[in-house]
Amino acid sequence: MSAFLFDRLHNGLGRVLDLRYAQHGLTASNIANASTPGYRAKYVPFDRILAQAVGRGDELEMARSDSRHFMAPGSDPSRPEVVEIEPAPWEVDGNSVDPDKEVVRLTENSVMYDAVSTGLSQRIAMLRYAANNGSAA
Amino acid sequence: MDFLDVFNVTASGLTAQRVRLQAVASNMANARSTRTEAGGPYQRKMTVFEAREMGFGDALDQAMATVQVTDVVASDDPPVMHYDPGHPDADAEGYVAYPNVNILEEMVDMMTTSRIYEANTNVVRTTRNLADSAFQIGR
Repeated sequence: MSAFLFDRLHNGLGRVLDLRYAQHGLTASNIANASTPGYRAKYVPFDRILAQAVGRGDELEMARSDSRHFMAPGSDPSRPEVVEIEPAPWEVDGNSVDPDKEVVRLTENSVMYDAVSTGLSQRIAMLRYAANNGSAA
Repeated sequence: MDFLDVFNVTASGLTAQRVRLQAVASNMANARSTRTEAGGPYQRKMTVFEAREMGFGDALDQAMATVQVTDVVASDDPPVMHYDPGHPDADAEGYVAYPNVNILEEMVDMMTTSRIYEANTNVVRTTRNLADSAFQIGR
Protein backbone atom coordinates (compact mmCIF):
# COMPACT_ATOMS: atom_id res chain seq x y z
CA MET A 1 0.00 0.00 0.00
CA SER A 2 1.11 3.51 -0.69
CA ALA A 3 2.79 5.01 2.36
CA PHE A 4 1.68 8.44 1.15
CA LEU A 5 -2.05 7.71 0.73
CA PHE A 6 -2.34 5.37 3.70
CA ASP A 7 -0.06 7.23 6.08
CA ARG A 8 0.43 7.08 9.85
CA LEU A 9 -2.80 8.95 10.54
CA HIS A 10 -4.79 6.52 8.40
CA ASN A 11 -3.24 3.42 10.01
CA GLY A 12 -3.39 5.03 13.45
CA LEU A 13 -7.15 5.57 13.11
CA GLY A 14 -7.56 1.92 12.12
CA ARG A 15 -5.59 0.82 15.15
CA VAL A 16 -7.65 2.97 17.49
CA LEU A 17 -10.79 1.32 16.06
CA ASP A 18 -9.29 -2.10 16.89
CA LEU A 19 -8.48 -1.00 20.44
CA ARG A 20 -11.92 0.55 20.97
CA TYR A 21 -13.51 -2.65 19.75
CA ALA A 22 -11.30 -4.70 22.09
CA GLN A 23 -12.47 -2.47 24.93
CA HIS A 24 -16.06 -3.11 23.86
CA GLY A 25 -15.44 -6.87 24.11
CA LEU A 26 -13.98 -6.47 27.60
CA THR A 27 -16.98 -4.42 28.74
CA ALA A 28 -19.33 -7.08 27.31
CA SER A 29 -17.38 -9.72 29.23
CA ASN A 30 -17.43 -7.65 32.45
CA ILE A 31 -21.19 -7.13 32.26
CA ALA A 32 -21.83 -10.81 31.42
CA ASN A 33 -19.78 -11.76 34.49
CA ALA A 34 -21.24 -9.06 36.75
CA SER A 35 -22.26 -11.70 39.30
CA THR A 36 -19.58 -14.37 38.81
CA PRO A 37 -17.66 -14.83 42.08
CA GLY A 38 -13.94 -14.05 41.82
CA TYR A 39 -14.20 -12.38 38.38
CA ARG A 40 -12.01 -9.25 37.98
CA ALA A 41 -13.26 -6.42 35.76
CA LYS A 42 -10.84 -5.67 32.91
CA TYR A 43 -10.26 -2.64 30.72
CA VAL A 44 -7.85 -1.12 28.19
CA PRO A 45 -6.03 1.84 29.83
CA PHE A 46 -6.50 4.43 27.08
CA ASP A 47 -5.11 7.32 29.14
CA ARG A 48 -1.87 5.42 29.70
CA ILE A 49 -1.64 4.47 26.00
CA LEU A 50 -2.12 8.13 25.01
CA ALA A 51 0.53 9.25 27.51
CA GLN A 52 2.91 6.67 26.08
CA ALA A 53 2.15 7.64 22.49
CA VAL A 54 2.62 11.36 23.24
CA GLY A 55 5.83 10.84 25.21
CA ARG A 56 7.27 8.45 22.67
CA GLY A 57 9.58 10.93 21.01
CA ASP A 58 11.53 11.65 24.21
CA GLU A 59 11.73 8.13 25.52
CA LEU A 60 14.50 5.74 24.72
CA GLU A 61 13.24 2.44 23.45
CA MET A 62 15.09 -0.79 23.96
CA ALA A 63 17.14 -1.68 20.90
CA ARG A 64 15.77 -4.62 18.87
CA SER A 65 18.40 -6.23 16.68
CA ASP A 66 16.10 -9.12 15.72
CA SER A 67 12.45 -9.02 14.67
CA ARG A 68 11.72 -11.83 17.12
CA HIS A 69 12.78 -9.69 20.11
CA PHE A 70 9.96 -8.59 22.33
CA MET A 71 9.31 -4.93 22.99
CA ALA A 72 9.52 -3.90 26.62
CA PRO A 73 6.09 -4.64 28.17
CA GLY A 74 3.57 -1.93 27.51
CA SER A 75 5.82 0.00 25.14
CA ASP A 76 3.83 -0.98 22.03
CA PRO A 77 0.62 1.07 21.99
CA SER A 78 -1.03 -1.34 19.55
CA ARG A 79 -0.70 -4.21 22.05
CA PRO A 80 -1.56 -2.69 25.41
CA GLU A 81 -1.69 -4.63 28.62
CA VAL A 82 -5.19 -5.28 29.89
CA VAL A 83 -5.68 -3.81 33.36
CA GLU A 84 -7.62 -5.79 35.99
CA ILE A 85 -9.51 -3.98 38.72
CA GLU A 86 -8.92 -5.27 42.25
CA PRO A 87 -12.14 -5.93 44.19
CA ALA A 88 -12.92 -3.45 46.97
CA PRO A 89 -12.55 -4.82 50.55
CA TRP A 90 -16.34 -5.03 50.97
CA GLU A 91 -16.80 -7.16 47.83
CA VAL A 92 -16.99 -10.45 49.72
CA ASP A 93 -17.36 -12.59 46.57
CA GLY A 94 -14.14 -11.19 45.06
CA ASN A 95 -15.98 -9.75 42.02
CA SER A 96 -14.81 -6.28 41.04
CA VAL A 97 -17.43 -5.45 38.37
CA ASP A 98 -19.34 -2.22 39.00
CA PRO A 99 -22.34 -2.42 36.61
CA ASP A 100 -22.86 1.38 36.66
CA LYS A 101 -19.28 2.10 35.68
CA GLU A 102 -19.42 -0.58 33.00
CA VAL A 103 -22.54 0.90 31.39
CA VAL A 104 -20.89 4.35 31.38
CA ARG A 105 -17.71 2.86 29.87
CA LEU A 106 -19.86 1.08 27.27
CA THR A 107 -21.51 4.34 26.16
CA GLU A 108 -18.30 6.37 26.26
CA ASN A 109 -16.46 3.75 24.24
CA SER A 110 -19.24 3.59 21.66
CA VAL A 111 -19.14 7.39 21.22
CA MET A 112 -15.36 7.26 20.74
CA TYR A 113 -15.71 4.38 18.26
CA ASP A 114 -18.23 6.40 16.23
CA ALA A 115 -15.98 9.47 16.37
CA VAL A 116 -12.95 7.56 15.09
CA SER A 117 -14.90 5.76 12.36
CA THR A 118 -16.35 9.11 11.22
CA GLY A 119 -12.81 10.50 11.12
CA LEU A 120 -11.68 7.56 9.01
CA SER A 121 -14.63 8.07 6.62
CA GLN A 122 -13.76 11.76 6.26
CA ARG A 123 -10.20 10.86 5.42
CA ILE A 124 -11.32 8.35 2.80
CA ALA A 125 -13.70 11.00 1.40
CA MET A 126 -10.76 13.39 1.06
CA LEU A 127 -8.72 10.79 -0.82
CA ARG A 128 -11.68 10.06 -3.10
CA TYR A 129 -12.17 13.79 -3.75
CA ALA A 130 -8.52 14.12 -4.75
CA ALA A 131 -8.64 10.94 -6.85
CA ASN A 132 -11.67 12.27 -8.76
CA ASN A 133 -9.92 15.51 -9.77
CA GLY A 134 -11.85 17.53 -7.21
CA SER A 135 -15.32 16.55 -8.30
CA ALA A 136 -17.62 15.30 -5.60
CA ALA A 137 -18.60 11.96 -7.13
CA MET B 1 -12.14 -11.02 17.44
CA ASP B 2 -15.27 -10.38 15.44
CA PHE B 3 -18.68 -9.05 16.33
CA LEU B 4 -20.06 -12.56 16.85
CA ASP B 5 -17.63 -13.22 19.74
CA VAL B 6 -19.05 -10.27 21.65
CA PHE B 7 -22.59 -11.44 20.92
CA ASN B 8 -21.66 -14.88 22.32
CA VAL B 9 -20.29 -13.35 25.53
CA THR B 10 -23.40 -11.23 25.99
CA ALA B 11 -25.73 -14.13 25.20
CA SER B 12 -24.02 -16.21 27.89
CA GLY B 13 -24.63 -13.34 30.34
CA LEU B 14 -28.32 -13.15 29.40
CA THR B 15 -28.74 -16.93 29.81
CA ALA B 16 -26.99 -16.95 33.19
CA GLN B 17 -29.20 -14.18 34.56
CA ARG B 18 -32.34 -15.86 33.24
CA VAL B 19 -31.44 -19.15 34.98
CA ARG B 20 -30.79 -17.19 38.18
CA LEU B 21 -34.16 -15.50 37.85
CA GLN B 22 -35.80 -18.93 37.47
CA ALA B 23 -34.15 -20.03 40.72
CA VAL B 24 -35.40 -16.87 42.44
CA ALA B 25 -38.92 -17.47 41.09
CA SER B 26 -38.86 -21.06 42.32
CA ASN B 27 -37.60 -19.95 45.76
CA MET B 28 -40.29 -17.29 46.13
CA ALA B 29 -43.07 -19.59 44.90
CA ASN B 30 -42.01 -22.27 47.38
CA ALA B 31 -41.24 -19.97 50.32
CA ARG B 32 -43.86 -21.82 52.43
CA SER B 33 -43.74 -25.35 50.91
CA THR B 34 -43.34 -27.79 53.78
CA ARG B 35 -43.44 -30.92 51.63
CA THR B 36 -41.25 -32.02 48.72
CA GLU B 37 -40.85 -35.24 46.74
CA ALA B 38 -37.54 -35.86 48.50
CA GLY B 39 -39.21 -35.31 51.86
CA GLY B 40 -38.85 -32.37 54.27
CA PRO B 41 -39.37 -28.69 53.45
CA TYR B 42 -38.29 -27.04 50.19
CA GLN B 43 -34.63 -26.01 50.14
CA ARG B 44 -33.48 -22.72 48.65
CA LYS B 45 -31.94 -23.14 45.16
CA MET B 46 -28.75 -21.28 44.32
CA THR B 47 -27.04 -20.92 40.91
CA VAL B 48 -23.26 -21.33 40.55
CA PHE B 49 -21.63 -19.12 37.90
CA GLU B 50 -18.23 -19.69 36.37
CA ALA B 51 -16.24 -17.39 34.09
CA ARG B 52 -14.76 -19.21 31.08
CA GLU B 53 -11.97 -17.33 29.33
CA MET B 54 -11.96 -17.38 25.53
CA GLY B 55 -8.84 -19.43 24.85
CA PHE B 56 -8.03 -18.17 21.35
CA GLY B 57 -6.94 -15.02 19.52
CA ASP B 58 -4.50 -12.45 20.87
CA ALA B 59 -4.04 -11.28 24.47
CA LEU B 60 -7.00 -8.87 24.28
CA ASP B 61 -9.37 -11.60 23.07
CA GLN B 62 -8.20 -14.02 25.73
CA ALA B 63 -9.05 -11.49 28.41
CA MET B 64 -12.72 -11.84 27.42
CA ALA B 65 -14.77 -14.43 29.29
CA THR B 66 -18.20 -15.96 28.85
CA VAL B 67 -20.22 -16.95 31.91
CA GLN B 68 -21.63 -20.45 32.38
CA VAL B 69 -24.12 -21.74 34.91
CA THR B 70 -22.22 -24.80 36.13
CA ASP B 71 -24.63 -25.97 38.81
CA VAL B 72 -27.86 -25.26 40.65
CA VAL B 73 -27.38 -26.35 44.25
CA ALA B 74 -29.76 -26.53 47.23
CA SER B 75 -28.81 -24.42 50.24
CA ASP B 76 -27.99 -26.53 53.32
CA ASP B 77 -28.96 -23.78 55.75
CA PRO B 78 -31.23 -25.24 58.45
CA PRO B 79 -35.00 -24.88 57.92
CA VAL B 80 -36.83 -22.13 59.76
CA MET B 81 -38.79 -23.58 62.73
CA HIS B 82 -42.17 -22.01 63.52
CA TYR B 83 -44.46 -22.99 66.37
CA ASP B 84 -47.78 -23.96 64.76
CA PRO B 85 -49.22 -27.09 66.47
CA GLY B 86 -52.35 -27.12 64.26
CA HIS B 87 -50.31 -27.57 61.05
CA PRO B 88 -50.45 -31.11 59.53
CA ASP B 89 -46.60 -31.15 59.24
CA ALA B 90 -45.98 -30.09 62.86
CA ASP B 91 -43.55 -32.30 64.82
CA ALA B 92 -44.22 -33.79 68.29
CA GLU B 93 -43.42 -30.44 69.99
CA GLY B 94 -45.71 -28.53 67.61
CA TYR B 95 -42.92 -26.99 65.44
CA VAL B 96 -43.19 -26.84 61.63
CA ALA B 97 -40.02 -26.82 59.48
CA TYR B 98 -40.45 -24.08 56.86
CA PRO B 99 -38.07 -23.63 53.87
CA ASN B 100 -34.80 -21.76 54.45
CA VAL B 101 -35.94 -19.07 52.02
CA ASN B 102 -35.65 -15.43 53.03
CA ILE B 103 -38.03 -13.36 50.89
CA LEU B 104 -35.96 -10.19 51.37
CA GLU B 105 -32.82 -11.91 50.10
CA GLU B 106 -34.77 -13.20 47.09
CA MET B 107 -36.10 -9.70 46.33
CA VAL B 108 -32.57 -8.27 46.39
CA ASP B 109 -31.40 -11.13 44.13
CA MET B 110 -34.28 -10.49 41.76
CA MET B 111 -33.50 -6.78 41.47
CA THR B 112 -29.78 -7.37 40.89
CA THR B 113 -30.57 -10.03 38.30
CA SER B 114 -32.93 -7.79 36.39
CA ARG B 115 -30.47 -4.87 36.41
CA ILE B 116 -27.63 -7.03 35.09
CA TYR B 117 -29.96 -8.52 32.46
CA GLU B 118 -30.85 -4.99 31.31
CA ALA B 119 -27.16 -4.04 31.16
CA ASN B 120 -26.57 -7.07 28.93
CA THR B 121 -29.37 -6.09 26.54
CA ASN B 122 -27.73 -2.66 26.44
CA VAL B 123 -24.50 -4.32 25.30
CA VAL B 124 -26.36 -6.13 22.51
CA ARG B 125 -27.74 -2.82 21.23
CA THR B 126 -24.35 -1.09 21.45
CA THR B 127 -22.60 -3.96 19.65
CA ARG B 128 -25.11 -3.63 16.84
CA ASN B 129 -24.51 0.12 16.63
CA LEU B 130 -20.74 -0.40 16.53
CA ALA B 131 -21.11 -2.94 13.72
CA ASP B 132 -23.38 -0.52 11.85
CA SER B 133 -20.91 2.34 12.11
CA ALA B 134 -18.05 0.05 11.07
CA PHE B 135 -20.02 -0.88 7.94
CA GLN B 136 -20.53 2.83 7.19
CA ILE B 137 -16.78 3.58 7.00
CA GLY B 138 -15.96 5.00 3.58
CA ARG B 139 -19.59 5.47 2.53
